[in-house]
Amino acid sequence: MLRKILLRNQSFIQLVIALFGAFLGVVFLLVSVHYFIKVTEFGEGSEMLGPNTLVIQKKVSTTTTLQLASTSFSAHEIHAIKNKSFIADVQPVLSNNFGVEFATSDPMLPYFRSDVFIQSIDTRFLDVKSKSWKWDKNSDFVPIILPRDFMVMLNTFMSSSGIPQISDELAKDVLFSLQLSNDRINQKFNAKIIGFTNEVSSILVPKSFMQFGKNTFGTKSQEKITQLMISGKEKEFGLLEKFLQKQHYESKNAQLVTGRLKSIVSTLLLVVACISFLTLLFSSFVLVQYIQLLISKNSYEIKTLLRLGYATHTLSNVFIYYFVLLFGSLCLVGILFFVLIKSFLDEKLQSTGIYIDFNHSIYSWATLGVSFVLFYLVVFISSKRNILNEF
Amino acid sequence: MHIHFNHVLPTPLSSTLQTENSLWNQSLILEKGKKVVVEAPSGRGKSTLVHLLFGVRKDYSGEICVDGQNLSTFSHRTWSEYRNNKVSIVFQDLQLFPQLTVLENLQIKNDLTSHLTKAELIAFIEQVGLFKKINEKCCNLSIGQQQRVAILRSICQPFSWLLLDEPFSHLDANNAQICMDILNQACEQQEAGWILTALGTHVNSAYDQLILI
Repeated sequence: MLRKILLRNQSFIQLVIALFGAFLGVVFLLVSVHYFIKVTEFGEGSEMLGPNTLVIQKKVSTTTTLQLASTSFSAHEIHAIKNKSFIADVQPVLSNNFGVEFATSDPMLPYFRSDVFIQSIDTRFLDVKSKSWKWDKNSDFVPIILPRDFMVMLNTFMSSSGIPQISDELAKDVLFSLQLSNDRINQKFNAKIIGFTNEVSSILVPKSFMQFGKNTFGTKSQEKITQLMISGKEKEFGLLEKFLQKQHYESKNAQLVTGRLKSIVSTLLLVVACISFLTLLFSSFVLVQYIQLLISKNSYEIKTLLRLGYATHTLSNVFIYYFVLLFGSLCLVGILFFVLIKSFLDEKLQSTGIYIDFNHSIYSWATLGVSFVLFYLVVFISSKRNILNEF
Repeated sequence: MHIHFNHVLPTPLSSTLQTENSLWNQSLILEKGKKVVVEAPSGRGKSTLVHLLFGVRKDYSGEICVDGQNLSTFSHRTWSEYRNNKVSIVFQDLQLFPQLTVLENLQIKNDLTSHLTKAELIAFIEQVGLFKKINEKCCNLSIGQQQRVAILRSICQPFSWLLLDEPFSHLDANNAQICMDILNQACEQQEAGWILTALGTHVNSAYDQLILI
């Protein structure tokens, strides 16, 4: 009966407009937050190098070949790069200055050997657990990260030898060997692949192993830093790319292109998310105005009920329950639309060859949860305050 | 439940010179269970007195204490309990819900305390001659009929005091008497008293105290 008394005198057109706005806000917020998260996560896990990480080097030109200009990075240049706002971290890439031979060392595989380059980068640039990425003299094997191109080459060799090609997973179980040498001595080590990279063209080894190699087999000449490992800040890949072009630095394109696309798409999605949130906020504001208007239109009824002995919270609960129920139903319909839109967009992305993670993002649900709680609080405070004003 | 007026003076009447007989700006105790008639010409503050006691108006100086508790210290929750269990009222302007039926107008009050059964409510409606109108919306009733509904609503709760602000102003003598009897019976059952405001001293019931403002 309380609802019959208090929820009359409603202007349904205003209510429908506010609810429709809130509905659009909910749907677009869910969609944009979901795809923002998925685009941000895109590519993670498939690459051993951390996100937004790339190896840069100076472009080799005629002047550098003629040794009129240097291809190595000076301490000053490294410092200047480190100070750029869009760069999160910079570290030199250590390269071998001794002989390295990579070979298969498993009786199940045909013998294959090749002289290779090995490099070492700091653990913080790698998407790898530090436990598996360490080496000391007592270790059973040297963990290595193999360039994917190298794996392709290895499989080509397998194929030409009439042996089935090996998968990434199988390659991780096979034993390889690394032989370090100089003019006088050499030493063989067991090696195991722990991951693959598209970004570096040489075999990556732990820093401790590289240091050991340099100390034991390395030449005494002064070491030059010709490559740097840098990680760009999220969503600022455009600035990083511009900087690299200006400085005539080069890098593998894949990471840059992905980074640039991710930057553009995630920025767009963030804008959509912000607009959706503002829409939701505006709709909530209209709904709050509507609650105030409704309470003001039913001022006589509220005053009379309070005089009959009804508690303020009993009356405000009628409004809170009604509007939270409306918003909750709206959210449920919003979720249904979100699922439909997501299924349509996922299909479209899949058909164009973009395989993002199609699972639901917990963040979009969390955003909806936060919006719901905020709406509840706004309705709660507004109803309580307006009812108390009638006392 | 005693009511103690300690130099109470409503703000709108503060500029008016108060006589010795006046209730205002005096010390006065209304004892539990007494039947009190407050008589005064129009504009002297009869409704104001009822509204002050019921907490509808709070613009006054002095103190009104109920069983030693100052009304000005009441919280919203205390007012709610007070209006549910201690004091009931018939407003001069009735304050019914026009869109609710006769029965619903009584139930909306009775639901708070479950003081009467539905059968008792119907019996009272019948007693005041409104049985045929039981499901009629109050907006369709005459003012006299509405006044009877408001009188019945006032007994749909336990109380120690019943505040009656010119409750029979639109009733004929016969209906006024029926309603007065119902009110007196409800007061006796609960050992409650009433405060009745009237324009003249003619009241269709015996009373213990007459206050002239």
